[in-house]
Amino acid sequence: MNKKQLIANNNDMNNEEYDKLIKKHIKEENVLKNMIISFFSGGLIGLLGEVLTNIFLKYNNLNDSYLMTFVVLIIIGSLLTGIGFFDKILSVCKCGLIVPSTGFANTMTSSAMDARSEGFIKGIGASIFKLTGSIILYGIFFGIIFGFIRSMIL
Amino acid sequence: MNYILSFLLCGFVCSISQFFLEKSKLTPGHINTFLVIIGCILSGFGLYDKLIEIFHSGATVPIMNFGHLLVVGASEGFNNYGFIGLFKGVLTNASAGISIAIVVSFIISMFFKIKN
Repeated sequence: MNKKQLIANNNDMNNEEYDKLIKKHIKEENVLKNMIISFFSGGLIGLLGEVLTNIFLKYNNLNDSYLMTFVVLIIIGSLLTGIGFFDKILSVCKCGLIVPSTGFANTMTSSAMDARSEGFIKGIGASIFKLTGSIILYGIFFGIIFGFIRSMIL
Repeated sequence: MNYILSFLLCGFVCSISQFFLEKSKLTPGHINTFLVIIGCILSGFGLYDKLIEIFHSGATVPIMNFGHLLVVGASEGFNNYGFIGLFKGVLTNASAGISIAIVVSFIISMFFKIKN
């Protein structure tokens, strides 16, 4: 009994020391700083979107140029993911790249690249929607419900 | 002025989602899904159109716009074709985003390999 208690005490001490060690070495992530960083990085992407929209506005009507901007950001996100550059920018810019449509492209492209080694049908075909499937499912589900509400209200 | 407004809204959405990403155990996938649902709700009551009028690209760049596109498509389909139009039209506008994402990510996964 005494022996067991002793061992337990020893283990507790070890755990406490271990926690102290961990706290020393891992800096606490500053939430406010990260929020400011993502504010600026996300804002820059919004700015880029406005610039692109103004360029497309010369050739298209307004709604189509918004759509073109959305699509161009998807292409940019996919290309950056393919090169392997996206994760490096993501560690600097935080959420600023996840919320714009580049994040959507990144999740889709990275799940496709993950499954590449398992072949075309069972690999890419089966798991390209692994993560983005939730966006499409809930988007269509709520889209139909609120589309009905919208045409009733407006 | 439009540039500043779009900077502000896009940055605001990003910083709010960064806050939820750090304070809760949600993954980026959760955040994206919730944003699409929020976009659907805002668009269903006609608020998102006003956001786009005021903030221009600041409202169309975030993934919330995807929900807005779905809702607008479904609503237009309902106005034109009745009940079946909801299902006919829900993907009309958003189809551009989905198809291009699928095609581009397929092509890229053929050409690039993951680096460790």
